[in-house]
Amino acid sequence: MMPEAIERIAPDSIEKLCELLARCDAAGTSVVVAGGETLRGMGVPPSGNELVLQTTALRGIVSYRPADLTISVQAGTTLKSLATRMKRDGQFVPFDAPKPAHATVGGTLAAGWLGPRRHRYGRPRDLLIGSTIALADGTLAHAGGIVVKNVAGYDMSRLYVGSFGTLGVLVVANLKTLPLPPVVRGFVAPLPEGTRTRAIAHLRSLAIEPSVAAWIEGFGNLEGDDGLEGRLFILFEGSETLLERATRDLRSALGRAGVPETSIVDERARDIFDRFIDAYVSTVAERSITYRIPTAPDRVEAGALEARDLVRRFALDADVIADIMNGDIIVRASRRDTRDLALKFQVLDDALHAAQPRARVIAGDHPIRPALRVWGTEPNAIERMRALKARFDPHATLNPGRFVGGI
Amino acid sequence: MTASLHERLRSALGNDAVKTTPEDLAVYSFDAYTDGRLPSAVVIPGDTRAVSVAVKIAREFNEPVIARGAGTGLCGGAVPIVGGVVISFARMHRLLELDVANRRARIQPGLVNLHLSQQAASSGLFYAPDPASQRSSTIGGNIATNAGGPHCLSYGTTVNHVLALEIVDERGEVFTTDVDDAGYDLTAALVGSEGTLGIVTSAWVKLLRTPEAVRVWLAAFPDIESASEAVSGIIGAGIVPTALEMMDAVIVKVVEEAFHAGYPTDAAAVLLIENAGFEDEMQGCESAIRRIVQAHGALSWHAARTPAERDALWAGRKGAAGATGRIAPNYYTQDVCVPRSTLPIALRAVESAAAENDIIVGNVFHAGDGNLHPLLMYDKRDARQVGAVLATGDAILRAAIDLGGTISGEHGVGYEKREAMTRVYTTEDLAVMARVRDVFDPQRSLNPEKIFPSGTRCAELGPVR
Repeated sequence: MMPEAIERIAPDSIEKLCELLARCDAAGTSVVVAGGETLRGMGVPPSGNELVLQTTALRGIVSYRPADLTISVQAGTTLKSLATRMKRDGQFVPFDAPKPAHATVGGTLAAGWLGPRRHRYGRPRDLLIGSTIALADGTLAHAGGIVVKNVAGYDMSRLYVGSFGTLGVLVVANLKTLPLPPVVRGFVAPLPEGTRTRAIAHLRSLAIEPSVAAWIEGFGNLEGDDGLEGRLFILFEGSETLLERATRDLRSALGRAGVPETSIVDERARDIFDRFIDAYVSTVAERSITYRIPTAPDRVEAGALEARDLVRRFALDADVIADIMNGDIIVRASRRDTRDLALKFQVLDDALHAAQPRARVIAGDHPIRPALRVWGTEPNAIERMRALKARFDPHATLNPGRFVGGI
Repeated sequence: MTASLHERLRSALGNDAVKTTPEDLAVYSFDAYTDGRLPSAVVIPGDTRAVSVAVKIAREFNEPVIARGAGTGLCGGAVPIVGGVVISFARMHRLLELDVANRRARIQPGLVNLHLSQQAASSGLFYAPDPASQRSSTIGGNIATNAGGPHCLSYGTTVNHVLALEIVDERGEVFTTDVDDAGYDLTAALVGSEGTLGIVTSAWVKLLRTPEAVRVWLAAFPDIESASEAVSGIIGAGIVPTALEMMDAVIVKVVEEAFHAGYPTDAAAVLLIENAGFEDEMQGCESAIRRIVQAHGALSWHAARTPAERDALWAGRKGAAGATGRIAPNYYTQDVCVPRSTLPIALRAVESAAAENDIIVGNVFHAGDGNLHPLLMYDKRDARQVGAVLATGDAILRAAIDLGGTISGEHGVGYEKREAMTRVYTTEDLAVMARVRDVFDPQRSLNPEKIFPSGTRCAELGPVR
């Protein structure tokens, strides 16, 4: 939970934001950078002694050239308002982040959010072709531009994606846009006993790859009921002709795996997809912790089962999503009964990281969060990362202590 | 000093791995752009440990280190400017691991780009970035420049396809990065850093499934404007084919003479369009694109009927630069990228810059990306022509910048364009890049005098090649 801040400021111009940063940096005031706070379950929570700098008043489209498939937006623009504007020109940017009505472009990029369609459309960092960043001392720096191919110097924009606001504050993002797929079709399939492994294998070998293919167990507020072995959520995007074949192939593949029923959820497919993304960070009041575990696609099923069983071993409830296309495992541990919950979360954190060193927390407001390995085991290059931070933000003004390895 | 450097390298790495004769050194003093200085020594290591040892020894002798792939770079990126130790990856050229289930491969940096796709083909996979140099350029070099290619329109450039790196740093220590690591995305920062932040000794790269269906079409136009407007029309209609390449009359003529690829020689411009995907959607795609190009005044439309015909059309495109030898003994390739909708203006600027300087120009480029490659043809023995080429190249840079474009779309900055960096970036912008350099290479011992502009020229270079 975001503790009570000493102050909360949302500058309405880039100049004001820079001036504020310069003042804080000179005075030794720590700054928490916040967008829509939809991913506030990520990272080490702020200590409460920081000034909260919100980018939400820096919103709006700077320039949009649909014929170029590029758009430039201010960082505080919400994903939803961006999507609404681009939809008029039949385009989109596949952020696939939760709560798009509140999530901002800057916050989503800074958090390094990774969605389930990236195997098809690319990582958000690969869509960021240029940026303007306010450095800790209030200096503005530009990187990249508004062209889709650019190798003039280091790719600073990509480095800012996922840097959690610790190198600077993203104020403008130039993005590649994509044409909206004409047709979207979703499927939900409950898995009878003994069908999961084969169904997942068949999904992975489909000629026409789904945009989303996930195995789900739990997350009861999402579409569909679990069979004995959970359920599948599948989304196809493309032309009508292509989706006709995709549907035939999918039905045949699931049929061979012994998964009898699949339900087409045509018109509601987008809505179900949005709720599916929201589930990644959905919490059970203050009684849950959700991890994301990156793994290889061929190990995602085994990894998801292992994570689920670990959660259950500590008498916690497990909800699981296994992203079959990208190899992401999302596992939420929760318990209605709060007795010893903090302790249980801590032993789970130990056990989970022993099995999956890259497991990281993406959601959960339980007060124990600061004591968990929220970023997973430190990466090999951590010393260089610390050196980068020191070089960019020598007074540790920006989001101090909230990122990997105490950065 | 040099003698003891040679001795140290030989005793640590063996005679075979160290080249020191002037004739041998000369081979490593130039790339496809220019001649640099002779290096002090060339090391051809066989593994990561040997790279690490070479860097440590070079450091003892205060020698900079220049990593080198195949030397096909077009902007002096692999050329020693102040001497130093060149590390050639000619012996580290293996595919180390092919992970078919997860569609990825671990490779050594000296692996030739095309060889990876060839070795992955029987598993139904290929490596997407395909620079024109792919028959000789190495993936390590491609990583250093974040190389592109015709198919980057839909697949993205090299950085989109690199999953993890093993790096030898400026002190000779090894570290690794992985896109799934928590923390800063160092993989993204290292790709395209032109050997100035570390030396890649192995990489995991992404592979894609071989598409089920591929179609190649050729549309001819009466003038270059209508062809570039057709490009905007296709992209603007929400169609992003796998490749969308343009060639002008000069190129079409030489290509047809050299390859008999089947290009219409009466056209002022042709578009080579490829779409890869599924059989089911090809017809719809073809009619949609065909409608657009015809609405923009296309003179003819030709669909390759067989894989052989397809390959012939592509062979013309890929061999275009070489074929210009029929016009002039030398050519210089400019590389700029502009917002796609400004292509017609950019092309007019190229034409007038060449005309003003009395230089023959041929355009063959990645139109779908707005990535121009004017080929400026000249004879390097003629000082006037060399000067005219440089002036034309500069005018094209200026035009691209004025249109909101950039000074390099896919070839890199290297030595050639480092002074031009100040034309697209402010001092603050460049200072931020320098901060990254400060962390990874504080002594500027990795590929010095590249990317970053400097007030003084440190070496007299030969003319452009």
